[in-house]
Amino acid sequence: MDNLTDLKAIWQTAKTDSLPSAAETRALVKKFRRQRLRKKWMVIFASSVMVIIMAGMMFVEHSKMITTQIGGLLIISAGTVLAATNIRSLRRFYALDDVSNFEFLAFIEQTRLNQLYFYKKTQLVIFMLTSVGLLFSLYEPFSKHPLKSAVLLITCTIWLLFSFLVMRPRAYKKNAAALNAMKERLEKISKQLSDQAMPEDHQI
Amino acid sequence: MTDFDDIYNRYAPQIYRICMGYTNNSEQAKDLVQETFIGIWKGLPAFRQQSHIGTWIFRIATNNCLRAMEVARRMPQSDLPFDLAEQREESPEEKLVFLYRCIGELEETDRIIISLVLEDLPQAQIAEIIGLSNVNVRVKVHRIKEKLAKKFKAYGQFN
Repeated sequence: MDNLTDLKAIWQTAKTDSLPSAAETRALVKKFRRQRLRKKWMVIFASSVMVIIMAGMMFVEHSKMITTQIGGLLIISAGTVLAATNIRSLRRFYALDDVSNFEFLAFIEQTRLNQLYFYKKTQLVIFMLTSVGLLFSLYEPFSKHPLKSAVLLITCTIWLLFSFLVMRPRAYKKNAAALNAMKERLEKISKQLSDQAMPEDHQI
Repeated sequence: MTDFDDIYNRYAPQIYRICMGYTNNSEQAKDLVQETFIGIWKGLPAFRQQSHIGTWIFRIATNNCLRAMEVARRMPQSDLPFDLAEQREESPEEKLVFLYRCIGELEETDRIIISLVLEDLPQAQIAEIIGLSNVNVRVKVHRIKEKLAKKFKAYGQFN
């Protein structure tokens, strides 16, 4: 094509004066720079707080029943797994450095696989640990004050069943659809990049 | 003026044009420019100058383009812009619109490659941005030019 120069000239006619100024962009960037990873930081913070509170309660309360201690340990384990998973995920994002499009697509695919693993396995483990831990922890107060604690125990049980049987499948379905759409897109773009040049095409 | 301001003033128009080539939508292109500069702001202190800063910036911009799912859903899927014959005009604005539309009909990576070519980046730098060999990029550029030439020929543009 001998009119590439013309195309470049046309390309350069694009008006860019509607772009914000450097100062405006700086203000926007400062406002939004942490937004993408904010959710992960909040999960890490919340799970850490939960672990500290539970450990503190176990240390202060000196429960007599082994069920309460097991419950506490299970909840601490769940919080630790949740925090560790998110810390590992954050480290991946922060470690992502100067990568090409090809490498970036591989990173996104690995992120997708990690998310899928989280929804299928890790989330289930965390949920089971938390549920069993919570019910074990509530057993001691229930045995001492059955009437007072019954409402709390029943409420917790209903909430756990609702979360496990309704909320989790819904969230999984929604996330799985997004992840599948991402998978199709990644496969399509990766295929474009991996198409190897034929030897005869080298003659340009 | 900070380094960031210098970088912004120098590269924002180029990134915007590349994002326009990818999205063919001004608002989405502006969003991608903003995303790119969030990445630049975060990465600038740790930028180790292992590659030219322009290469690094264009990598961030093109990676953002490739990741943008919203853009992908809205892009046309057909191979040729059959509806373009109705819109042949000779004004610079119309030529630019036509060019964007033709580029918008290409595959995602082809859109990125031709946008970088039109920004006058050397093929070696384009290869570094995308992560392909120089030879592969040269072949791809040649094929993209052929695809665009066919589109232009079919509609009698820019002869």
